[in-house]
Amino acid sequence: MPFDSKNDAGHTIVSIDETRLDASLSEPLRIYLFDQIDNGSDNLVIDLSQVRFMDSSGLGALVAGLKKMGGAGSMKLASAQPAVMDLFSLTSMDKLFTILPTVTEAIKEK
Amino acid sequence: MTDEKGQAVRLEIDSELANTTLIAMAVRGLCAMTTLSPVEVNRVELCVVEIVNNAIEHAYGNEKGHKVEVGVSLLQACLMLTISDWGKPMEQGKLGSRDMSVDPDNPAAWLCSGRGLPIVQSLMDSVEYQTVGDKNSFIMSKQIRS
Repeated sequence: MPFDSKNDAGHTIVSIDETRLDASLSEPLRIYLFDQIDNGSDNLVIDLSQVRFMDSSGLGALVAGLKKMGGAGSMKLASAQPAVMDLFSLTSMDKLFTILPTVTEAIKEK
Repeated sequence: MTDEKGQAVRLEIDSELANTTLIAMAVRGLCAMTTLSPVEVNRVELCVVEIVNNAIEHAYGNEKGHKVEVGVSLLQACLMLTISDWGKPMEQGKLGSRDMSVDPDNPAAWLCSGRGLPIVQSLMDSVEYQTVGDKNSFIMSKQIRS
């Protein structure tokens, strides 16, 4: 599975080791995020630094994770690449997600 | 395949989501022959992926073993893409809404799917859907600067 997680300063950092977060990977990502949340991770940072392309399915998996948090805790995005940032802007999802330039900044951000 | 107006190529994949990448990469390569900017190429790739995904997921219900055909025409003034399937036609009325507004204060209304067509309609200069016989085609174009 191209997902990994580690704990850092009270946050769970989920990394995606794929350049394309598309429909073939969106459901496995959704399940992975749900598992993390069900297992008690309430401060998630999604490291998108490797992702060069994301489609609406990949975006949907992230929205599903954010909805599952249900307002408890946080889910922030880090290191979104230009095409990914463009998708968030086009779909107004940049209004839902807190997007930081780096994982370090995402951890520090209150 | 050529005509008097430009050049055209036809690509074909089996109806598996993992195969969408093949189409995406091929279309990126063809876009490199045009004056489209890197941002525009990314957006054309996104649109092609969204429509091919729709064909696989909705026309064929995620069932392997069916044909998805992508025609790419490089014309003088535009890039034309035709994505065809021989599955269940798209419901009438699916095309039209480009609304992707979201209310951050209303999580219940946050959509986890259904953004593909609004994205495509927002990014392409024209979109059209037609069914002729048992063939469904989504036709979209992007203007090219000369």
